[in-house]
Amino acid sequence: MKDNLTPLMRAKVFVKESPARMAFIIAILLYVATVAVSPTSLNANAIGSIIMMTLLLSFASAGQTIVLIGGGMDFSVGAVMSSAAILATTIMNHRDGYFLPLLISALAMGAFVGLCNGVCAVKIGLPPMIVTLAISNVVTRMQYVLTQGSPLGYVSDAFFRSVTTRLFGVQFLPSIILYAFIVFPLVFFLLNRSRFGKQVYLIGNNPLAARLDGIEVSRVQILTYVFSGMFSAFAGILGAAYMQSVRCQTFDEYAYNSLIAVIIGGTALSGGIGTYTGSIAGSLVMVVLSNLLTAMQLSPTKRNVVLGVLMVLLLVLYNREKNVRQ
Amino acid sequence: MNTKTKPTPSYLLASARQALGRFHTSPAFAGSMLFLAALVLNAALQGPASFFTVKNINTLFTKNTPFMLAAIAQSLLLMTGTMDISCGVQMALVNVVVIMTGQEWGIPFPLSCLLGIGAAILASLLCWVCCSVLRLPALLASYALTFVIKGVNVMIMSVPQGKVEKLYYKAYDSQIFGFIPASILGLALVLLIWAYVRRTRLGTHMYAVGGNQRDAFAAGISPMGVQLKAFLLKGFIIGAAGVCLTLMTAAGNPLQAEDYGIRSLSACIIGGLSFGGWGTVGCAISGAGFLVLIQNSVYYFFSMLVKMIPGFSVTSYYQNFASDLLILLGLLMTMVTARGQREALRRDIVRQLKTGIGLRDQAGTPPPDGAAAGAALAPPPGNGTGPENTDAPAFDTLSAPAVSTSAARTGLSDGAGVGAAHTKEGMDDER
Repeated sequence: MKDNLTPLMRAKVFVKESPARMAFIIAILLYVATVAVSPTSLNANAIGSIIMMTLLLSFASAGQTIVLIGGGMDFSVGAVMSSAAILATTIMNHRDGYFLPLLISALAMGAFVGLCNGVCAVKIGLPPMIVTLAISNVVTRMQYVLTQGSPLGYVSDAFFRSVTTRLFGVQFLPSIILYAFIVFPLVFFLLNRSRFGKQVYLIGNNPLAARLDGIEVSRVQILTYVFSGMFSAFAGILGAAYMQSVRCQTFDEYAYNSLIAVIIGGTALSGGIGTYTGSIAGSLVMVVLSNLLTAMQLSPTKRNVVLGVLMVLLLVLYNREKNVRQ
Repeated sequence: MNTKTKPTPSYLLASARQALGRFHTSPAFAGSMLFLAALVLNAALQGPASFFTVKNINTLFTKNTPFMLAAIAQSLLLMTGTMDISCGVQMALVNVVVIMTGQEWGIPFPLSCLLGIGAAILASLLCWVCCSVLRLPALLASYALTFVIKGVNVMIMSVPQGKVEKLYYKAYDSQIFGFIPASILGLALVLLIWAYVRRTRLGTHMYAVGGNQRDAFAAGISPMGVQLKAFLLKGFIIGAAGVCLTLMTAAGNPLQAEDYGIRSLSACIIGGLSFGGWGTVGCAISGAGFLVLIQNSVYYFFSMLVKMIPGFSVTSYYQNFASDLLILLGLLMTMVTARGQREALRRDIVRQLKTGIGLRDQAGTPPPDGAAAGAALAPPPGNGTGPENTDAPAFDTLSAPAVSTSAARTGLSDGAGVGAAHTKEGMDDER
């Protein structure tokens, strides 16, 4: 059937059908452009840091992917990450041996914020974007109130090394990859192999049908927000380990970036469609793009303009609503 | 409601009671009750003697007219079933344009105000292209535009600078006849314009498109055209809000007012507007007033704490936290307002079933997918929103395809011919 398509139509089909592959291709093209702009950026160390940032963003967008597939949206990813990072530096305070308490408290904090998001968005029926934005504002203000604007402390050396050491002495293998060996299978299991994942896809596709099938729609949806909060918190403490010391709002841009990454990966805003592979590819695109913009020495303002236009373009590609005539 | 008796005292009493009942079931009811509660709270915390002074009321209006205008603009979009979270940065755009055209080109202030309003209308048009023409999800598209417009602002004016002539900002801060705040004029102008538009065909069409785009289209209304007009109107109001903002701050700052976008949206939601086809401008005003007075109360509450507890000091962090928390709590108040809406809807249906009045005009159940995004509330059959049941607004009949065909034939709008041609498809689709 595909034989009688024009090349343009075939390209369109390709874009629509396999956003993950498309995203990988875009990422490679962007990287080639970066190397063309500044040839010095082609070295093992730079590739290593690209991998590092990509993994960090893909951890943050894991929760966002689950929430979007379930038909919601989570804008508090950035605020939760920043809060978790502040927790990390405050609890560790340059001492070893506090990883477990930190992990538990950060995950609990993330789960709590996620629960608030879920209850407000699902039970009360407010638009998810607005309510999560409002909650993330509150969480951000909370950081300022609790730290009086200047968070103290550093992460422990062991934790810092567990994220940034290059494996086997190879420059482009940062040890954050080890964390990916835990997170990626977990997300894949959650989305593709568990009952929860199937329910999320079904709810995203058609909440009414899901309810008639006997799924407790609101409970599953709230659970997606809780997972999102926990993944964000985990990404936040890893981010703290990478940065060593943090300020308030350090990771706030991850809210927007993770959303764009997930959309680049082909997850539909209307829910029910999407893969985590796509989100990882989308994260790669975002990181490479930001590298390119840095290489071109654009000011932060122009970067923002570019990101805004990119978002509009992506929405045009993947998320147009149906015509009223159809 | 339909009885045509002579105006006797008992009739007047009855109609007064009816008006009260209408207000009770109107969308703005819950919002205005919240507003009154906030007013009482604020007056109590500040002390009535210092609250009800000309100076204080004037300050309240001067400081908050831009925000009220933004909320009104947002409410028009919400009625039409779309929204724009970038209106905060659009106000900053107006501010930047007004200041910079005056400073660089030496244009007199009134003229640069017009240029600023033009800029706001252009930005609104951009948003319309994204939301209606390209059919992107309004919330996300306008959020993306926030970044773009903010970038443009900084390109026009890199750092905060500039000033407004003393004559103008003194005039903005003054009182007419010694007690009416001059800033209220902007508000009154916008409300007058809206009161006129609401009574034209466009007003009805806006509700129709907000209620259900497909049904509106089947009735011969062009959703894109109606949304275009709504966005133009909103651009004008945001322009006025930006001018008020400029007069208020009397300086230029490219990065201010960004939170006006989400705050205006939450003001509308608190006031009782939901997404599409439900609610009035009164909702937006009472919601905005609620937010303003609550934030005022927070300030006085903290200063009271400082006075009462020795050694207690407040940083601005606490106040920011409290006001953001209150915005969130206000959003959660929708539980209350939404219940009010549901009850209004139910009561209306029950009344019609009991009395049989107006059954001819009403189209039974509202469209099922009316307001899927919001509090899941479809437009109710003609209570407080419409003028009267008797002159049945078009949107009441829209959910019945047979009626909508006749509506299209009788020339409901300019696009009636097109609408009639497409109605059949729309009907087939609905089945």
